[in-house]
Amino acid sequence: MELDANAFARNSRKALSDKALQEALGRTTGRFMLHRAAAVAAFPGFEEARERASAIKMDVLAHLDAYLGRFVEEAEKRGVVVHVARNAAQAREIAARIARDEGVTLAVKSKSMAAEEISFNEALEGAGVTVVESDLGEFIIQLAGEAPSHIIAPAVHKTREEVSLLFERHLGEPRTDSIPELVGMARRHLRAKFLSAGMGVSGANFLVADTGSLVLVTNEGNGRMGAVLPRVHLAVVGIEKVIPRMADLPTFLRLLPRSASGQAISSYVSIVTGTKRAGDPEGPERMHILLLDCGRSAILEGKYREILKCIRCGACLNACPVYQSVGGHAYGWVYSGPIGAVLTPLLVGLPGAAPLPDASTLCGACAEVCPVKIPLPDFLLELRSDARDQGLKTPGEIAGMKGYAGVMKRAGLLEAIERIAGVLGQFFTKGKAIGGMPYPFSGWTERRDFPVPAAQPFRKQWKIRRGVTR
Amino acid sequence: MNEREALFRRLAAASGGHAAGPGEPLPGGAPAAPAGDSVARFADAFTAAGGVLLRGPVEAALSDLGEMLRAEGVTALFFPEDDAEARETVESLVPFGPFLLTTAAAVREGSAAVTAGFRTAEAGIAETGTIVETSAGGKTLLPGLLADVHVSIVPVSSVVDRMEEALSALAADAPRNISFLTGPSKTADIEQTLTVGAHGPKKAIVLLLA
Repeated sequence: MELDANAFARNSRKALSDKALQEALGRTTGRFMLHRAAAVAAFPGFEEARERASAIKMDVLAHLDAYLGRFVEEAEKRGVVVHVARNAAQAREIAARIARDEGVTLAVKSKSMAAEEISFNEALEGAGVTVVESDLGEFIIQLAGEAPSHIIAPAVHKTREEVSLLFERHLGEPRTDSIPELVGMARRHLRAKFLSAGMGVSGANFLVADTGSLVLVTNEGNGRMGAVLPRVHLAVVGIEKVIPRMADLPTFLRLLPRSASGQAISSYVSIVTGTKRAGDPEGPERMHILLLDCGRSAILEGKYREILKCIRCGACLNACPVYQSVGGHAYGWVYSGPIGAVLTPLLVGLPGAAPLPDASTLCGACAEVCPVKIPLPDFLLELRSDARDQGLKTPGEIAGMKGYAGVMKRAGLLEAIERIAGVLGQFFTKGKAIGGMPYPFSGWTERRDFPVPAAQPFRKQWKIRRGVTR
Repeated sequence: MNEREALFRRLAAASGGHAAGPGEPLPGGAPAAPAGDSVARFADAFTAAGGVLLRGPVEAALSDLGEMLRAEGVTALFFPEDDAEARETVESLVPFGPFLLTTAAAVREGSAAVTAGFRTAEAGIAETGTIVETSAGGKTLLPGLLADVHVSIVPVSSVVDRMEEALSALAADAPRNISFLTGPSKTADIEQTLTVGAHGPKKAIVLLLA
C-alpha cells in the first residue's frame, strides 16, 4: 500500500468534513466498544487470559529464532514450502514467482494486513493473475477501488445504496436496498470464484510452532474456503505471528474475538496443517507460507519490541477518540488507530510517518483494552521524543514544549498564568473551546481545540474542597 | 547466505542469541470449567451463537428438521459416503421432503439446488458452543463448508468442557483440516448489520444424540 502518513493533518480534515463517514464511524466504533465490554464482562477469565497471552508473546519474542525455526521445521515436514522476504519488494517478487510457477490465473484472497503491507494484489496482477478479495467488506472496497478503513470492518464507510450501485455496475445485479440480498449476490459471485480459483491467498492469525499449523479466524467462512478448496494455498504472514504450542491457542482464541467484535468465539476457526494427505478429500496439493520480516527484526532488537505482541484485533482503534473522529484512511497506510500510530513509523521509518505519534491524546484507552497489554501510550510518547532526536520537530514546537516545561516546574508562575487565563478566558471566549489563537500558539490550535481555562484553577478548587483554603 | 539464514541470524542477534529452543509451557492456562452439565452449556452457547439445536433420538427430531429445511428452501441433501450416522439420518429424512439426494462431489462442482449438508462431528465444546469437524481419517469438510444449511450430528459423549480438551486430542497428530464451527456464517460488513450466510451455511443445526 502506498504510504501517505505525512499527510495526516490534511487527510483528517477531509475525514472530519465527510458527513457519511462521521456517521459510520460513530455507529461502528460505539457498537464494537459496547459488544466488547459486554463480552469481557461475561467472561471472568479475561484478565487472566490477557496476562497469560502477554507472557506467552513475550516469551516468543525473546526466543523468536527458536520458535520460528521450530515452526518452519514442522511445516516443511508436512509438505509446506516456506519462503522468507526481507522487504516488501522481495515479498512481491516471491509471491509473483509462486503464482507463475504454480500456473495460477485466478486467486481468491481473504483479508490479510500483511498482504496489504507488501501491496500483494498489484504484485500478482503484474504477473497476470486476477486477485479477487473474498471478505465481503474487502470485496466491496476492491470494486470501489478504495483502501480498507478499519482492520476488521474495511467497508464501514459505505452505505447499502453505494454497495448496490457497485454490484449493479460490476456484477450486473439488480438494485436493491435489502442487505441480505446484497450479501446473497456477493455469496453467489464469490462462490463461483472459490470453486474455480487455482490459488487461495490468506494471512494467518497464528502460526503454531509445535505442529507447523496455521490458524485462520473468520466469521464469514471465506478464510477456510481459500485454505481448503483451491489446488494451491499461499499464506502471507508476519514473522511475529508464531505461538509456541497448540495448547496455547485457546488462550488467544478467548481474547481475539471478544476484543475484536465482542463474540465469545468467531463463527469459524480453521487450523490447517500441511498439504492434503493421502486419502484426504479436500485440501491444497501445494501450500506456501511467505514469512515477512519487512522491518520486524529491527523492531525486535529495539525498545519497541512489545509492539510485536499485537494480535490485530482492532480494539484500540475503536477505543481511540482520535480514530473515532478521523477513521482509518487518515493514517495513510495499512494500520490505523493507536497500533497504526506506533507500528507504521516503526515499519516505514519515522520520517515517513512523523505526524502519527502525535495523533493521540494519550488518554490511555488503547492500553486499557489491549488484549496483550501493549503499552501503547508509552510508545507514542517515546516515539515523540525519537522524532525530536531525529530532527523531525519544528523549532516552534521544541520552543513551545520547553516553555511549557519551564512553567510547569514553577508553581507560582503556573498559578499566576492560570489566574490571568481564567479571567481572560471568561471574557474572550464563548462555549467550551478555543479554536484559534495567534502565532506562535496557532501551531497548536490549528489542529486542536484548546479548552477554555476554568475561572478557578483545578489546584485552587482542590484546596477548597479539602478545606485547606477558601 | 540465503534470505532465510540471514533472517534467523538477525533474529538470533535481536533476541539475545537464545538458541536453546522453546522453554517449558507456562503453568495454568485453561480457566476452570464451571459447575453443571457440560452438554447443557454446549446447547446454550451454540444457541447463543445463532445455531439451532435439536435433541435426538433421530426419529423424534425428523419432523422438526424436515420442516426447518423446507422453510430454508432446501431441495437437496448430501452426506459423506463413509458417515453411517449421517447416512441414516438423511435417509430417514427423505419422506419429510420433497428432498433429493446429491453428493459432496456434485456440490463441489457448483450445485444450483439449495443444499443441506450432514456430517457427524468429532466433538462439541461447551465453553463456546463450538462444533469440531476435521479431516482425520479422510473425512470430508464439504457439508459444513459449502452447504446452505449444515446439520451436524453431535453425540453427547463427544461434548467436552473447553477448547483445550478438544485440541489436545488432535494436536499429537494434527489432521490437515481442523474446523471449529460456531453458529452460521455471519457478516456485518454492510452498515454493521448482522447478516447470515456470507460464504458458509446460512443455518447451523445440531442434532444432539444421546
